Amino acid sequence: MQRIFINKSLCAGCKNCEAACMAEHTTHRSLWLVNLSDPSNKPNNRVALDNSGQPTPIFCQHCDDPACVTACMAGALTKNPETGVVEHNRDKCAGCWMCIMSCPYGMMHTSGVYEDTAAKCDFCAERGTPRCVSSCPTGAITLRTI
Amino acid sequence: MSICVSADKVLEKFILSKKDLESSFNRVPDQEVKCAFGMQGICCRLCANGPCRITPTTPKGVCGATADTIVARNFLRAVAAGAACYLHVVENTAANLKAIGLGQSDISLKGTRLLEELSSKLDLPGNNVGEKAVALANQVIQDLYRPRHEKMELVEKLAYTPRYKKWTELNILPGGAKAEVFDALVKTSTNLNSDPMDMLLHALRLGITTGIYGLGLTNHLNDIIWGEPRIRLAKVGFGVLDPEYINVMVTGHQQALVGILQDGLSTSEAINIAEKAGAKGFKLVGSTCVGQDMQLRGAHCQQIFAGQTGNNFTSEILIATGAVDLVVSEFNCTLPGIEPVCDAYGVPQICLDDVAKKQNAEYIAFSLAEKDTIIQKVIETAVERYKKQRPSVKVDIPEHGYDDVVTGVSQKTLKEFLGGSYKPLIDLIIAGKIKGIAGVVGCSNLTAKGHDVFTVEMTKELIKRNIIVLSAGCTSGALENVGLMSPSAAELAGESLKAICRQLEIPPVLNFGPCLAIGRLEETAADIAGELGVDLPELPLVLSAPQWLEEQALADGSFGLALGLPLHLAIPPFITGSELVTNILTKDIEGLTGGKVIVNGNVEDTVNELEAIIMAKRAGLNI
Repeated sequence: MQRIFINKSLCAGCKNCEAACMAEHTTHRSLWLVNLSDPSNKPNNRVALDNSGQPTPIFCQHCDDPACVTACMAGALTKNPETGVVEHNRDKCAGCWMCIMSCPYGMMHTSGVYEDTAAKCDFCAERGTPRCVSSCPTGAITLRTI
Repeated sequence: MSICVSADKVLEKFILSKKDLESSFNRVPDQEVKCAFGMQGICCRLCANGPCRITPTTPKGVCGATADTIVARNFLRAVAAGAACYLHVVENTAANLKAIGLGQSDISLKGTRLLEELSSKLDLPGNNVGEKAVALANQVIQDLYRPRHEKMELVEKLAYTPRYKKWTELNILPGGAKAEVFDALVKTSTNLNSDPMDMLLHALRLGITTGIYGLGLTNHLNDIIWGEPRIRLAKVGFGVLDPEYINVMVTGHQQALVGILQDGLSTSEAINIAEKAGAKGFKLVGSTCVGQDMQLRGAHCQQIFAGQTGNNFTSEILIATGAVDLVVSEFNCTLPGIEPVCDAYGVPQICLDDVAKKQNAEYIAFSLAEKDTIIQKVIETAVERYKKQRPSVKVDIPEHGYDDVVTGVSQKTLKEFLGGSYKPLIDLIIAGKIKGIAGVVGCSNLTAKGHDVFTVEMTKELIKRNIIVLSAGCTSGALENVGLMSPSAAELAGESLKAICRQLEIPPVLNFGPCLAIGRLEETAADIAGELGVDLPELPLVLSAPQWLEEQALADGSFGLALGLPLHLAIPPFITGSELVTNILTKDIEGLTGGKVIVNGNVEDTVNELEAIIMAKRAGLNI
């Protein structure tokens, strides 16, 4: 299984992981073209400052015992036993926002594109390496096999 | 070892053979992760509240600046810097012409016929060559130093008349060039201008100053000093290096400065010194645009000029041949990356203009009055390296380049070649044998598919479709080193263009030389438009700076837009963060000047788009 690891002491707060995530979830996938003024583009990750002012990338943990999956009454959220990735099936999503309320990391959010459903990190299912990992210039975000 | 690929496979193989060499090609993989905010031009660090970046949840900077304001400010700053670079070059060139005209140097002007022509065209005073040279130089310098509220006088006399009228109508005639650059900086400083349209129109004014002064007049003044171009065959590539000579590599854009070495290293005294050191003499080895300029005027310095080796990104590699004994630089593109390579191969560096001062270079402030001292210093430094390092350094010159590149093509020589008028070319265009013209210009970069890859692939596709290509800039270094500027490249052209090239024994890609010669291309276009009796935007002519690299290219591009020409770029000019600025530059501006920016990173799609524009313009002319 692979997981994203964070070394926040290396984070420069450039937000490139946010921009990369937004680009990856558009049809053209281009960093040149992703509309960074469009509020409907929402990254599945974010960089926030911790209590000491250190920029800190915050990502979906794909938890072992995911609160969002437990909370999802529609069966839209599931934990893939093979990859360990917490997957979201938009077709099943009822838009009840229970997942948003239950995630301790605040990583579930309302999809900007489909207003009636939730959205989350999909581990860039169609890419070998999540785009945020390959877009981090400092090595603060890495992919490791566990 | 992972390196950036090149269109020039011989070069690529040579780089891979140099295991200990670190060059730009090695650093590309390390720099692959780019900052999306920088790419889109929406990072602002004009004040201590920043850096601010625009995101969907933070649509304004702390001060309230929107993406449109931030992008327009960054763009105008870049264009102003690029214009400043070219204006620096024309100012130095004019200062030297003036000093020669005043008799302060023993250099004799080689282009007196052109001086007479220009004096008469510009109504300049003067009873003899010297007085006329001074009058021309003074006029250029005065225009550069006018305040912004005074229009530059030579614009009307040198611009294509329909364009001058259009610029007057749009109120984009430039005031004093330096003041235009200065106020562009003021305008884009913290909490000043927030109007994207005003800033983009300012960029067009800077484009006009760049084109007419920085490019066009630099060419004319250098032609007057060093001689006008003549069409001839020349050698290009690393193969021009001859290890039996003491080789002085020149980098930059100012032949007005390094040109003093042409005669200075050819004297019998200089040759004696070289012979005593065990060499046959000295050679100037062309690198970057100043080499292209020397090659263009190569008929006037055939003995001393070895030939052009390549473009900006071949310069580090050239030093690693071991056969370079001194680097003399005076402007960009003198990459910082050459310094450790020079150190590794024991190659000293001399810089003649502190705007391009390299950390390891010895700086000698250029002055025509100190010409002999500079030449002496160059000779001593190069000879010392030759004697001390050559025996211990392995000289490795690959078989690289071509011996039959057609050079010396200019707005005048092309016309002379065609029999004194563009009519034969126009007739071929009307007959459809040549579909149209593409100016493939500007820089070389390592990002649009690799070193010169986009440039070369696009050019091959254009000529295949019977579109003749004219090139100026580092693109020429790319195209000549892969054989596209040799007559045999005709075989790669479409049937009708191939037949024409074969008959005239010319390549389908014409070599105008350095980026400064973009000014010559644009004068060529104006001449053709004049013969047809149309304005520039009506011509079946497109511009592409596919692998643009730097701020100067953006200033050149702004000139292209002011001229009303479609301008393709493979990489966006850091504007895509603003829908407004992107729409103005790629669409709306067509309604103002007739030109527009086309951004396309795919070769096939680009050529389809450029061909469609050419076909539409042909239809507009009923041909």
